[in-house]
Amino acid sequence: MGRADSLAKLAWAYGLHLTRRRLTRPKSQLPALIEMYKPNGIRPLTPTERELHPRLIGCINCGLCALAAGRLGKTRLPDLASSYMRLYARLADASSDLEGGDEADLEAASAACPVGLPLADVAAVVRRLAAG
Amino acid sequence: MTGAGIARDLSLRGLSVLLLEKGDWGAGTSGSSTWMIHGGPRYLEFDWDTTRRSSEDAGFIVTIARHMVYRVAFLLPILPHDRNNIERMETAMEVYDRFQPLKKSNPHVRLTADEARQAEPGLTSDLVGAVTLEEWGVDPHRLVFANVQDAMANGARAMNHTRVIELLRDGANVIGVRYRAADGSLSEARAKVVVNAAGPWVPEVSRMAGANVQLRPAKGIHIVYPHRISNFGLSAETVDGRDVLMVSHGGFTLLGTTDDDFYGDLDSVDVHGDEVDYLLQAFERIFPAIRNYRPVRTTTGVRPTLFKWRRYEDELSRRYQVIDHSADGAEGFITIAGGKLSMYRLMAEETSDAVCRKLGHQAPCTTAVRPLPGSESELEPAAELGQRFGIPALAAIKLQSRHGSRAGDVLDKSDAGRIVCRCEPLTESELAYAARHEQVRTLADAFRRVGIAAGPCAGAACVMRSAEIIGRQLGWSASQRFDAVREFVQGSWLGRAPVLGHSGWAQEELAQGALRGLH
Repeated sequence: MGRADSLAKLAWAYGLHLTRRRLTRPKSQLPALIEMYKPNGIRPLTPTERELHPRLIGCINCGLCALAAGRLGKTRLPDLASSYMRLYARLADASSDLEGGDEADLEAASAACPVGLPLADVAAVVRRLAAG
Repeated sequence: MTGAGIARDLSLRGLSVLLLEKGDWGAGTSGSSTWMIHGGPRYLEFDWDTTRRSSEDAGFIVTIARHMVYRVAFLLPILPHDRNNIERMETAMEVYDRFQPLKKSNPHVRLTADEARQAEPGLTSDLVGAVTLEEWGVDPHRLVFANVQDAMANGARAMNHTRVIELLRDGANVIGVRYRAADGSLSEARAKVVVNAAGPWVPEVSRMAGANVQLRPAKGIHIVYPHRISNFGLSAETVDGRDVLMVSHGGFTLLGTTDDDFYGDLDSVDVHGDEVDYLLQAFERIFPAIRNYRPVRTTTGVRPTLFKWRRYEDELSRRYQVIDHSADGAEGFITIAGGKLSMYRLMAEETSDAVCRKLGHQAPCTTAVRPLPGSESELEPAAELGQRFGIPALAAIKLQSRHGSRAGDVLDKSDAGRIVCRCEPLTESELAYAARHEQVRTLADAFRRVGIAAGPCAGAACVMRSAEIIGRQLGWSASQRFDAVREFVQGSWLGRAPVLGHSGWAQEELAQGALRGLH
């Protein structure tokens, strides 16, 4: 009974939906979606970031980049790759961690990385997302 | 989860409560869930009432646990030959939108194929369009412990790593339990009512009372990636037409779940390579780069689904049942069976009502409105909290996601703001606090309570130091610390082995080097 009732109600809703679709002109809802979830840090990566993403998160936390180049702002480079890149929905609330302090030699850090992490790209993505 | 909810409910009603957990808080079915508080749109096909009740209770949970819940926005991509075309899928979401306000969630939107790929550029180009769906995410381990914590604050006693080995009888009455505590000692506790909220172990505990409760346990696995793969949750259709999810929580992603009848040993549930392949196959269709990502481990658990003959696992109801065993010759013994995480509070309320009826105790349930510990007041901005205690804002964010408005108390009680787990990131003082105040007795408990070793390095950089910190609080000797690390490393290997491959081996080499001598 429960299932028959559920399916009947869904069928009615389906009919209404199809009628509504025929009578209304659809408009883009993407801006509304982006706006809706902006306060929650749910934002799309760009196509370039998406393509790079599997490499950006390859850090194995060995710490060699810290020996090569130290910090970005107040943040140790291994932390940038292993925790800031992980938690990228919350970076807007943590932007203060990336301000001030040193400007790391990211090329030297990347050269020291045993898994070939592109640390300059990691830093660029983290900074973009932290900027809100 | 349900046991913790019942303990909280009954202690708030003024009853004397003892809660016993054979493993750790949230280590069973709850911890191996998809970490969601949801209404259950898929139940719309079977039973709207379950969706309504689940949404209603989810609304209460997200209010009382506001510091630990977060919105999860799903994209449901539609491919040309999917079981549901986009019109049917949007119809389902339009219906589900009626329930969304009950859980304080936003309504769906519909996207064209191009728009969907702007929202998530990793989606396949072979796309018809997408609709969205909003649910809530939660760390079930923290949710369980917050309930335990509040129960204890209201007078309950709660013990983890304590196993009930026998029910005490006086004729037809169940009058208490005999249990073995974490230190191996045997004790007895007498009670007017004994509640069996053992999840998939319900039949085992019921048999101690001579009662027969039949479940249809269903095994589910998840693949865990140690990063957010997408800011949006994604759904995919499996080869046999089931819907599976990819959900990012904090700094990691869960991909799952399977749903298979389970007949084996509930205390030893393995993950098989074909289960991993089954999930990857489904996601590869909609998110082709999925195999470029490195999983770090798997989780597995068994759902305590109510028994039903002649149904596929996926079609089984997530309903629950409160059973009074008086008719089975076990007066004073009550079982709660079935259900799901999203309805834990309601299940606890109805079970507690049954207990109160038995005792003739009249006190209303308050768990729908009383905040859990940490959700009593607004959170301080993370950057300010971090500055006050000399920790990064990101560490403060993570701390607040576990302790809410009590985060400052955790740091206040220690002078150390040093980071012990850099992936998470986690402070030494929070870990020490967990050992002192949150019943952390093993490194696996610390993983559940505060997330040590949850990141990309799977603990290579932090488990030794964590053992020192916990050991200092619990008085472990050097060999006990060594044993604790070895036990943790061996346990986590079981979950990691089914997904090791490619770049995972570089990580594994590093871990083996860092922890040399433990194997």
